[in-house]
Amino acid sequence: MPPAPLIEAEGLSRRHGRREVLRGVSFTLAPDQVLGLLGVNGAGKSTLLRILAGVLAPDAGRLRIAGAELGADPRAARTRIGWLPERAPLYPELTVAESLVFAARLRGLGGAAARSAVERAVERCALGEVRNRLCGNLSRGFAQRAGLAQAIVHEPPVLLLDEPTAGLDPLQAQRFHELLATLKPGRAIVLSSHQLAEVQAGCDLAAVLHAGVLDSPAPPGDGRALSQRFMALALGSAA
Amino acid sequence: MSTTLAIARREWRAQFASPLAWTVLAAMVALGAWLLLSGVESYGAQAARFAGRADAPGVTDLVVVPYFATLATLFVFVLPLLTMRSIVGERRDGTLPLLFAAGAGGRSIAVGKWLGALGAPAVLLLLLVLMPLSLGVGTTLDVGKIAVAALGLAALAGALCALGVLCSAWAQHPASAALAAMAAGTIGWIADAAARERGVTEGLIHWLALPGHLTAAMRGVLATVDLAYFALWVVLCLGLAALRLERLRETG
Repeated sequence: MPPAPLIEAEGLSRRHGRREVLRGVSFTLAPDQVLGLLGVNGAGKSTLLRILAGVLAPDAGRLRIAGAELGADPRAARTRIGWLPERAPLYPELTVAESLVFAARLRGLGGAAARSAVERAVERCALGEVRNRLCGNLSRGFAQRAGLAQAIVHEPPVLLLDEPTAGLDPLQAQRFHELLATLKPGRAIVLSSHQLAEVQAGCDLAAVLHAGVLDSPAPPGDGRALSQRFMALALGSAA
Repeated sequence: MSTTLAIARREWRAQFASPLAWTVLAAMVALGAWLLLSGVESYGAQAARFAGRADAPGVTDLVVVPYFATLATLFVFVLPLLTMRSIVGERRDGTLPLLFAAGAGGRSIAVGKWLGALGAPAVLLLLLVLMPLSLGVGTTLDVGKIAVAALGLAALAGALCALGVLCSAWAQHPASAALAAMAAGTIGWIADAAARERGVTEGLIHWLALPGHLTAAMRGVLATVDLAYFALWVVLCLGLAALRLERLRETG
């Protein structure tokens, strides 16, 4: 029997003013799967991730996160989500360890539970050498890792990453993907990107979001097929 | 509730991590000391006039209460400097999504920010209230009256902090948040000035203005209507800030 999906999105739609940003987006994602969300700028990737993160309410549609309906039980659903926005949300005046403690407290962890959660996140994201460094003084690569550590501090089964390697140099990006691979077991991960190579290399499934419509997630294959899908959807309508 | 308290704790810490807060505290304590010493000097000059009178006003009435009244006016301009970064700083640092993703709604962020923003003003108020109490070494003070006046100042500080949080929620830059809060506080301070010029001391405009709600406290009378007025300021400002935060959550 296949494992129960961790993300079940059904007919998610969202308008910004008159513009329809998402139109009936549906997909499911099982544990141990990484879905790469491809799309040009303005395709609706960030809006979809914000809806999946429970930050933005959809105008229509249903969303279940690890069995919890986001509309009916938002508190339970949110505890199962870790979200890393495009710009890692770090307080410059806090050290890495302090910002992780703050993130743990926001998630309702206190005392010893918060401390052990922070230690776990520091170890998983290999932040030991910068744990006492101010977030404002981190390199872009470490900042992204610290943001990722904040997103997983409460051990969520669902991880949402909005263009996590944007602005990283190739080595930093490669290290980030290696880190991501260690976080994959037992988790469903959605990663948005506009780089075909990144999705091809690091994702089990890929789906193209264009003009608010998501095509069916499918294995990225050798890259050519994915490239053709991307071009057909993203550029076809513009041509 | 734990989310609100976590936000308040971080805000409290952030205030004291800022050199601006320490500068404001140091400047206000120095200014307070100068005001108090000027008051004592002036009292020394006036004391002879009241000598032998049974109903003569004491140090509390002639030195401490005017000192508190001046501090109240200064608070309108100083407290916005301590609250200006509270929400606009989060927007500029890109950290609001962290709060939203943890399930913090506009209301809990606004309340958490306000509770945290009270930190530096509370320390400031404590230092400024302790100074006149030192006069008790050489004279008799009306401690009850001082306590009630200090409570009035604390209520004013709470209302001004809420106004600061509101302005910070709407502004694009900390400086504009501070200026907006100073402008709104000044309007609240002088709203009934024209009416008072004409000798009118009653009516809605008089009730709306801030200074009238400190008068009783400065006389040593704790009026629940005045406390309710400041509580209303806080609720209104934090409610509007919460609405703005919900809007920011929607627009990203």
